[in-house]
Amino acid sequence: MHLEIQSERNGSGGSVVLAGRFDAHEAEPVLTSLTALLADGVSTIGLDLSRVDFIDSTGLAVLTRVMKRARESGGDLVLVAPSTPVRVILELTALDKAFVVSEVGPDIAVGH
Amino acid sequence: MSAAVNRLDGGDVLAETAPSFDLPSQLDQLERYRHWATTPLKVDPVLSVVIPAYNETQRILPTIGAVVSHVCSLEPSWELIISDDGSSDGTRRIVRELGLVNLKVVETPTNTGKGGAVRRGVQAARGEFILFADADQATPIEQLELLLGPVKTGEADIAVGSRRAGGADVRGRSLGRRILSDGLRRLVKLGFGLSHGDTQCGFKLFSRDAAERLFAVQRIDGFSFDLELLYIASRVGLRVVDVPVRWFDSPGSTVNGGRDTLLFLVDLGRIRLNEALGRYRDPGHGRRNQEGT
Repeated sequence: MHLEIQSERNGSGGSVVLAGRFDAHEAEPVLTSLTALLADGVSTIGLDLSRVDFIDSTGLAVLTRVMKRARESGGDLVLVAPSTPVRVILELTALDKAFVVSEVGPDIAVGH
Repeated sequence: MSAAVNRLDGGDVLAETAPSFDLPSQLDQLERYRHWATTPLKVDPVLSVVIPAYNETQRILPTIGAVVSHVCSLEPSWELIISDDGSSDGTRRIVRELGLVNLKVVETPTNTGKGGAVRRGVQAARGEFILFADADQATPIEQLELLLGPVKTGEADIAVGSRRAGGADVRGRSLGRRILSDGLRRLVKLGFGLSHGDTQCGFKLFSRDAAERLFAVQRIDGFSFDLELLYIASRVGLRVVDVPVRWFDSPGSTVNGGRDTLLFLVDLGRIRLNEALGRYRDPGHGRRNQEGT
Protein backbone atom coordinates (compact mmCIF):
# COMPACT_ATOMS: atom_id res chain seq x y z
CA MET A 1 0.00 0.00 0.00
CA HIS A 2 1.55 3.30 -1.01
CA LEU A 3 -1.48 5.53 -0.55
CA GLU A 4 -2.95 6.53 2.78
CA ILE A 5 -6.72 7.05 2.83
CA GLN A 6 -8.56 8.81 5.63
CA SER A 7 -12.30 9.11 5.33
CA GLU A 8 -14.64 11.04 7.58
CA ARG A 9 -18.33 11.87 7.59
CA ASN A 10 -19.51 15.21 8.97
CA GLY A 11 -23.29 15.50 8.95
CA SER A 12 -24.47 15.41 5.33
CA GLY A 13 -20.96 16.07 4.02
CA GLY A 14 -17.90 13.93 3.85
CA SER A 15 -14.19 14.38 3.51
CA VAL A 16 -11.47 12.08 2.30
CA VAL A 17 -7.76 12.78 2.59
CA LEU A 18 -5.28 10.96 0.36
CA ALA A 19 -1.51 10.91 0.80
CA GLY A 20 1.00 9.23 -1.50
CA ARG A 21 0.82 7.81 -5.00
CA PHE A 22 -2.65 7.32 -6.42
CA ASP A 23 -2.24 4.79 -9.21
CA ALA A 24 -4.10 1.78 -10.55
CA HIS A 25 -3.06 -0.32 -7.54
CA GLU A 26 -4.95 2.07 -5.27
CA ALA A 27 -8.01 2.65 -7.45
CA GLU A 28 -10.19 0.07 -5.76
CA PRO A 29 -9.72 1.19 -2.13
CA VAL A 30 -10.21 4.84 -3.09
CA LEU A 31 -13.33 4.03 -5.11
CA THR A 32 -14.68 1.97 -2.22
CA SER A 33 -14.02 4.75 0.27
CA LEU A 34 -15.68 7.44 -1.87
CA THR A 35 -18.68 5.39 -2.97
CA ALA A 36 -19.27 4.25 0.63
CA LEU A 37 -19.79 7.89 1.59
CA LEU A 38 -22.21 8.40 -1.31
CA ALA A 39 -24.10 5.22 -0.40
CA ASP A 40 -24.30 6.51 3.15
CA GLY A 41 -26.23 9.57 1.99
CA VAL A 42 -23.36 12.02 1.65
CA SER A 43 -23.99 14.24 -1.37
CA THR A 44 -20.83 16.31 -1.58
CA ILE A 45 -17.37 15.02 -0.78
CA GLY A 46 -14.25 17.12 -0.31
CA LEU A 47 -11.23 15.17 -1.50
CA ASP A 48 -7.95 16.50 -0.14
CA LEU A 49 -5.19 15.95 -2.72
CA SER A 50 -2.56 18.20 -1.16
CA ARG A 51 -0.32 15.27 -0.28
CA VAL A 52 -0.79 13.20 -3.43
CA ASP A 53 2.44 13.25 -5.45
CA PHE A 54 1.23 11.36 -8.51
CA ILE A 55 -2.06 10.34 -10.02
CA ASP A 56 -2.28 8.10 -13.07
CA SER A 57 -5.05 7.70 -15.62
CA THR A 58 -6.81 5.05 -13.55
CA GLY A 59 -6.84 7.39 -10.57
CA LEU A 60 -8.26 10.14 -12.77
CA ALA A 61 -10.93 7.74 -14.03
CA VAL A 62 -11.96 6.97 -10.44
CA LEU A 63 -12.32 10.66 -9.65
CA THR A 64 -14.37 11.24 -12.80
CA ARG A 65 -16.66 8.30 -12.04
CA VAL A 66 -17.31 9.42 -8.47
CA MET A 67 -17.82 13.04 -9.55
CA LYS A 68 -20.50 11.93 -12.05
CA ARG A 69 -22.27 9.78 -9.47
CA ALA A 70 -22.22 12.59 -6.91
CA ARG A 71 -23.64 15.08 -9.42
CA GLU A 72 -26.40 12.67 -10.42
CA SER A 73 -27.62 12.82 -6.84
CA GLY A 74 -27.34 16.60 -6.61
CA GLY A 75 -23.95 16.74 -4.93
CA ASP A 76 -20.37 16.95 -6.12
CA LEU A 77 -16.84 15.74 -5.66
CA VAL A 78 -14.71 18.76 -4.79
CA LEU A 79 -10.95 18.46 -5.25
CA VAL A 80 -9.25 20.26 -2.40
CA ALA A 81 -5.82 21.92 -2.61
CA PRO A 82 -4.29 19.61 -5.23
CA SER A 83 -0.51 19.36 -5.04
CA THR A 84 1.42 20.93 -7.92
CA PRO A 85 1.95 17.63 -9.78
CA VAL A 86 -1.74 16.78 -9.49
CA ARG A 87 -2.75 20.30 -10.54
CA VAL A 88 -0.52 20.13 -13.61
CA ILE A 89 -1.80 16.65 -14.48
CA LEU A 90 -5.38 17.94 -14.21
CA GLU A 91 -4.49 20.84 -16.51
CA LEU A 92 -2.76 18.69 -19.11
CA THR A 93 -5.69 16.30 -19.24
CA ALA A 94 -8.14 19.25 -19.27
CA LEU A 95 -9.88 17.75 -16.25
CA ASP A 96 -9.31 20.96 -14.28
CA LYS A 97 -12.31 22.29 -16.23
CA ALA A 98 -14.50 19.34 -15.33
CA PHE A 99 -13.97 19.39 -11.55
CA VAL A 100 -14.64 21.97 -8.90
CA VAL A 101 -11.27 22.71 -7.33
CA SER A 102 -11.13 24.36 -3.91
CA GLU A 103 -8.14 25.79 -2.09
CA VAL A 104 -9.66 25.40 1.38
CA GLY A 105 -9.83 22.30 3.58
CA PRO A 106 -12.20 19.48 2.65
CA ASP A 107 -14.65 20.23 5.47
CA ILE A 108 -14.91 23.91 4.51
CA ALA A 109 -15.04 23.04 0.81
CA VAL A 110 -18.24 21.09 1.31
CA GLY A 111 -19.78 23.63 3.63
CA HIS A 112 -19.11 22.19 7.10
CA MET B 1 32.75 18.87 -21.42
CA SER B 2 31.90 21.63 -19.08
CA ALA B 3 28.54 21.65 -17.38
CA ALA B 4 27.40 25.06 -18.51
CA VAL B 5 24.56 26.20 -16.32
CA ASN B 6 22.08 28.56 -17.87
CA ARG B 7 19.55 29.23 -15.21
CA LEU B 8 17.04 31.95 -15.65
CA ASP B 9 17.46 33.12 -12.08
CA GLY B 10 21.26 32.94 -12.11
CA GLY B 11 21.61 30.24 -9.46
CA ASP B 12 22.78 26.69 -9.79
CA VAL B 13 20.31 24.37 -8.14
CA LEU B 14 21.88 21.33 -9.75
CA ALA B 15 25.13 21.93 -7.92
CA GLU B 16 23.42 21.02 -4.70
CA THR B 17 23.58 17.51 -3.39
CA ALA B 18 20.34 15.58 -3.45
CA PRO B 19 19.24 15.85 0.18
CA SER B 20 19.71 19.61 0.32
CA PHE B 21 17.25 20.51 -2.42
CA ASP B 22 14.87 23.09 -1.12
CA LEU B 23 11.76 22.83 -3.21
CA PRO B 24 9.95 26.06 -3.89
CA SER B 25 6.47 26.70 -2.60
CA GLN B 26 3.58 25.26 -4.60
CA LEU B 27 2.69 28.64 -6.06
CA ASP B 28 6.29 29.19 -7.10
CA GLN B 29 6.37 25.69 -8.59
CA LEU B 30 3.32 26.46 -10.67
CA GLU B 31 4.79 29.74 -11.88
CA ARG B 32 8.02 28.01 -12.87
CA TYR B 33 6.05 25.40 -14.78
CA ARG B 34 3.98 28.00 -16.61
CA HIS B 35 7.11 29.96 -17.54
CA TRP B 36 8.83 26.81 -18.85
CA ALA B 37 5.70 25.78 -20.73
CA THR B 38 5.44 29.09 -22.62
CA THR B 39 8.98 30.48 -22.94
CA PRO B 40 11.34 28.81 -25.41
CA LEU B 41 14.88 28.25 -24.15
CA LYS B 42 17.36 30.55 -25.85
CA VAL B 43 20.42 28.40 -25.11
CA ASP B 44 21.14 24.71 -24.85
CA PRO B 45 19.54 23.29 -21.72
CA VAL B 46 21.31 21.99 -18.67
CA LEU B 47 19.14 18.88 -18.60
CA SER B 48 17.26 16.79 -21.14
CA VAL B 49 14.66 14.26 -20.06
CA VAL B 50 13.92 11.61 -22.68
CA ILE B 51 10.81 9.45 -22.40
CA PRO B 52 10.34 6.65 -24.93
CA ALA B 53 6.69 6.06 -25.75
CA TYR B 54 4.81 3.44 -27.70
CA ASN B 55 1.00 3.52 -27.65
CA GLU B 56 0.94 5.42 -24.37
CA THR B 57 -2.23 7.50 -24.66
CA GLN B 58 -3.41 6.19 -21.29
CA ARG B 59 -0.24 6.89 -19.36
CA ILE B 60 1.68 9.66 -21.06
CA LEU B 61 -0.18 12.76 -19.85
CA PRO B 62 0.00 11.98 -16.11
CA THR B 63 3.67 11.12 -16.58
CA ILE B 64 4.36 14.39 -18.41
CA GLY B 65 2.50 16.27 -15.67
CA ALA B 66 4.56 14.68 -12.92
CA VAL B 67 7.83 15.20 -14.77
CA VAL B 68 7.29 18.84 -15.75
CA SER B 69 6.03 19.91 -12.33
CA HIS B 70 8.99 18.32 -10.56
CA VAL B 71 11.82 19.19 -12.95
CA CYS B 72 10.63 22.79 -13.31
CA SER B 73 10.92 23.10 -9.53
CA LEU B 74 14.59 22.10 -9.74
CA GLU B 75 15.94 23.56 -12.94
CA PRO B 76 14.43 26.07 -15.37
CA SER B 77 16.85 25.24 -18.16
CA TRP B 78 15.69 21.86 -19.35
CA GLU B 79 13.89 20.19 -22.21
CA LEU B 80 11.53 17.25 -22.39
CA ILE B 81 11.75 14.86 -25.32
CA ILE B 82 9.03 12.33 -26.01
CA SER B 83 10.51 9.78 -28.38
CA ASP B 84 7.51 8.19 -30.00
CA ASP B 85 8.21 4.74 -31.36
CA GLY B 86 5.69 4.54 -34.18
CA SER B 87 2.59 4.64 -31.99
CA SER B 88 -0.70 3.90 -33.70
CA ASP B 89 -2.98 5.16 -30.92
CA GLY B 90 -2.58 8.92 -31.19
CA THR B 91 0.20 9.32 -28.62
CA ARG B 92 2.09 11.79 -30.85
CA ARG B 93 -1.00 13.90 -31.44
CA ILE B 94 -2.01 14.28 -27.81
CA VAL B 95 1.54 15.15 -26.79
CA ARG B 96 1.91 17.74 -29.55
CA GLU B 97 -1.45 19.26 -28.72
CA LEU B 98 -0.23 20.12 -25.24
CA GLY B 99 1.66 23.00 -26.85
CA LEU B 100 4.50 22.99 -24.31
CA VAL B 101 7.22 24.97 -26.07
CA ASN B 102 10.17 23.12 -24.55
CA LEU B 103 8.70 19.72 -25.22
CA LYS B 104 9.98 18.09 -28.38
CA VAL B 105 8.38 15.06 -30.04
CA VAL B 106 10.80 12.77 -31.86
CA GLU B 107 9.04 10.34 -34.12
CA THR B 108 9.52 7.44 -36.46
CA PRO B 109 6.95 5.89 -38.80
CA THR B 110 7.43 2.31 -37.59
CA ASN B 111 7.78 0.61 -34.22
CA THR B 112 11.44 -0.27 -33.65
CA GLY B 113 11.60 -1.11 -29.94
CA LYS B 114 12.52 0.75 -26.77
CA GLY B 115 16.24 0.83 -27.52
CA GLY B 116 15.67 2.56 -30.84
CA ALA B 117 13.29 5.07 -29.26
CA VAL B 118 15.73 5.93 -26.48
CA ARG B 119 18.62 6.27 -28.96
CA ARG B 120 16.70 8.66 -31.21
CA GLY B 121 15.57 10.66 -28.20
CA VAL B 122 19.04 10.91 -26.68
CA GLN B 123 20.59 11.84 -30.02
CA ALA B 124 18.08 14.69 -30.32
CA ALA B 125 18.85 15.91 -26.79
CA ARG B 126 20.91 19.06 -26.25
CA GLY B 127 21.36 18.92 -22.47
CA GLU B 128 24.62 18.68 -20.54
CA PHE B 129 22.94 15.88 -18.62
CA ILE B 130 20.52 13.44 -20.19
CA LEU B 131 18.04 11.30 -18.28
CA PHE B 132 15.91 8.65 -19.85
CA ALA B 133 12.87 7.59 -17.88
CA ASP B 134 10.12 5.10 -18.66
CA ALA B 135 6.68 6.39 -19.61
CA ASP B 136 4.96 4.67 -16.70
CA GLN B 137 6.63 6.64 -13.89
CA ALA B 138 7.56 3.30 -12.27
CA THR B 139 10.61 5.13 -10.97
CA PRO B 140 9.15 8.43 -9.80
CA ILE B 141 10.82 11.51 -11.27
CA GLU B 142 11.62 12.67 -7.72
CA GLN B 143 14.53 10.20 -7.87
CA LEU B 144 16.23 12.39 -10.48
CA GLU B 145 18.34 14.28 -7.95
CA LEU B 146 19.82 11.04 -6.64
CA LEU B 147 21.20 10.22 -10.10
CA LEU B 148 22.18 13.75 -10.99
CA GLY B 149 24.40 14.21 -7.93
CA PRO B 150 27.26 11.81 -8.83
CA VAL B 151 27.28 12.77 -12.52
CA LYS B 152 27.15 16.47 -11.81
CA THR B 153 30.08 16.27 -9.41
CA GLY B 154 32.12 14.22 -11.89
CA GLU B 155 32.15 11.15 -9.67
CA ALA B 156 30.50 9.14 -12.46
CA ASP B 157 29.73 9.42 -16.18
CA ILE B 158 26.54 7.39 -15.90
CA ALA B 159 24.14 6.91 -12.98
CA VAL B 160 21.92 3.87 -13.17
CA GLY B 161 18.71 3.55 -11.20
CA SER B 162 18.85 0.23 -9.40
CA ARG B 163 16.12 -1.82 -7.75
CA ARG B 164 18.73 -4.07 -6.19
CA ALA B 165 21.25 -1.66 -4.72
CA GLY B 166 21.13 -1.31 -0.95
CA GLY B 167 18.41 1.11 0.09
CA ALA B 168 16.21 0.57 -2.96
CA ASP B 169 12.48 0.61 -2.24
CA VAL B 170 10.59 -1.71 -4.59
CA ARG B 171 6.81 -2.04 -4.40
CA GLY B 172 4.53 -4.50 -6.10
CA ARG B 173 7.07 -6.44 -8.14
CA SER B 174 5.66 -9.89 -8.80
CA LEU B 175 7.47 -13.07 -7.75
CA GLY B 176 7.65 -14.11 -11.40
CA ARG B 177 9.38 -10.90 -12.44
CA ARG B 178 11.79 -11.16 -9.48
CA ILE B 179 12.78 -14.71 -10.42
CA LEU B 180 13.15 -13.80 -14.09
CA SER B 181 15.20 -10.75 -13.23
CA ASP B 182 17.49 -12.69 -10.87
CA GLY B 183 18.09 -15.33 -13.52
CA LEU B 184 18.97 -12.77 -16.19
CA ARG B 185 21.20 -10.88 -13.75
CA ARG B 186 23.22 -14.03 -13.05
CA LEU B 187 23.47 -14.71 -16.77
CA VAL B 188 24.70 -11.18 -17.44
CA LYS B 189 27.31 -11.45 -14.70
CA LEU B 190 28.50 -14.79 -16.01
CA GLY B 191 28.51 -13.90 -19.69
CA PHE B 192 29.64 -10.28 -19.61
CA GLY B 193 31.35 -9.80 -16.28
CA LEU B 194 29.00 -6.96 -15.41
CA SER B 195 28.28 -6.77 -11.71
CA HIS B 196 25.39 -4.31 -11.86
CA GLY B 197 22.51 -5.55 -9.76
CA ASP B 198 19.95 -4.11 -12.16
CA THR B 199 20.71 -3.44 -15.81
CA GLN B 200 17.09 -3.02 -16.90
CA CYS B 201 15.65 -0.27 -14.70
CA GLY B 202 14.27 2.40 -17.02
CA PHE B 203 15.87 5.32 -15.24
CA LYS B 204 19.43 6.20 -16.26
CA LEU B 205 21.31 9.47 -16.43
CA PHE B 206 24.32 10.26 -18.64
CA SER B 207 26.78 13.08 -18.98
CA ARG B 208 26.58 14.50 -22.48
CA ASP B 209 29.99 13.10 -23.38
CA ALA B 210 29.06 9.61 -22.18
CA ALA B 211 25.74 9.73 -24.06
CA GLU B 212 27.41 10.79 -27.32
CA ARG B 213 30.01 8.05 -27.08
CA LEU B 214 27.58 5.29 -26.14
CA PHE B 215 24.69 6.04 -28.45
CA ALA B 216 26.99 6.52 -31.46
CA VAL B 217 27.79 2.80 -31.39
CA GLN B 218 24.82 1.27 -29.54
CA ARG B 219 22.78 -0.87 -31.95
CA ILE B 220 20.14 -2.94 -30.21
CA ASP B 221 16.61 -1.62 -30.73
CA GLY B 222 14.85 -3.90 -28.24
CA PHE B 223 14.71 -3.74 -24.47
CA SER B 224 18.19 -5.34 -24.03
CA PHE B 225 19.73 -2.04 -25.09
CA ASP B 226 20.30 -1.18 -21.40
CA LEU B 227 22.63 -4.12 -21.06
CA GLU B 228 24.39 -3.21 -24.30
CA LEU B 229 24.95 0.35 -23.06
CA LEU B 230 26.46 -0.84 -19.79
CA TYR B 231 28.63 -3.34 -21.61
CA ILE B 232 29.96 -0.67 -23.98
CA ALA B 233 30.48 1.66 -21.02
CA SER B 234 32.61 -0.95 -19.27
CA ARG B 235 34.66 -1.50 -22.43
CA VAL B 236 35.42 2.17 -23.04
CA GLY B 237 36.15 2.95 -19.41
CA LEU B 238 33.17 5.10 -18.54
CA ARG B 239 32.43 5.25 -14.83
CA VAL B 240 29.02 3.88 -13.84
CA VAL B 241 27.41 4.17 -10.44
CA ASP B 242 24.38 2.17 -9.30
CA VAL B 243 21.93 4.33 -7.38
CA PRO B 244 19.16 2.77 -5.27
CA VAL B 245 15.76 4.10 -6.29
CA ARG B 246 12.12 3.78 -5.37
CA TRP B 247 10.22 1.72 -7.88
CA PHE B 248 6.53 0.92 -8.19
CA ASP B 249 5.17 -1.82 -10.35
CA SER B 250 3.03 -0.20 -13.00
CA PRO B 251 -0.07 -1.94 -14.28
CA GLY B 252 -0.10 -2.14 -18.05
CA SER B 253 3.56 -3.06 -18.28
CA THR B 254 4.45 -4.28 -21.75
CA VAL B 255 6.99 -6.77 -20.40
CA ASN B 256 6.19 -10.32 -21.55
CA GLY B 257 8.24 -12.84 -19.55
CA GLY B 258 8.65 -15.67 -22.06
CA ARG B 259 8.98 -13.61 -25.22
CA ASP B 260 11.27 -11.03 -23.67
CA THR B 261 13.52 -13.66 -22.08
CA LEU B 262 13.99 -15.26 -25.47
CA LEU B 263 14.72 -11.91 -27.10
CA PHE B 264 17.12 -11.08 -24.28
CA LEU B 265 19.06 -14.27 -24.88
CA VAL B 266 19.23 -13.57 -28.62
CA ASP B 267 20.46 -10.06 -27.86
CA LEU B 268 23.21 -11.39 -25.60
CA GLY B 269 24.49 -13.24 -28.64
CA ARG B 270 24.17 -10.13 -30.81
CA ILE B 271 26.19 -8.09 -28.33
CA ARG B 272 28.94 -10.70 -28.43
CA LEU B 273 28.84 -10.71 -32.23
CA ASN B 274 28.95 -6.91 -32.44
CA GLU B 275 31.91 -6.94 -30.10
CA ALA B 276 33.71 -9.54 -32.22
CA LEU B 277 33.07 -7.47 -35.36
CA GLY B 278 34.53 -4.37 -33.76
CA ARG B 279 31.30 -2.41 -33.81
CA TYR B 280 31.73 -0.99 -30.33
CA ARG B 281 34.88 1.03 -30.99
CA ASP B 282 34.72 4.21 -28.99
CA PRO B 283 34.27 7.18 -31.36
CA GLY B 284 35.19 9.50 -28.50
CA HIS B 285 38.53 7.77 -28.16
CA GLY B 286 39.42 8.31 -31.82
CA ARG B 287 38.17 11.86 -31.72
CA ARG B 288 40.34 12.70 -28.74
CA ASN B 289 43.39 11.13 -30.40
CA GLN B 290 42.80 13.23 -33.54
CA GLU B 291 42.38 16.37 -31.49
CA GLY B 292 45.62 15.62 -29.71
CA THR B 293 47.70 15.19 -32.86
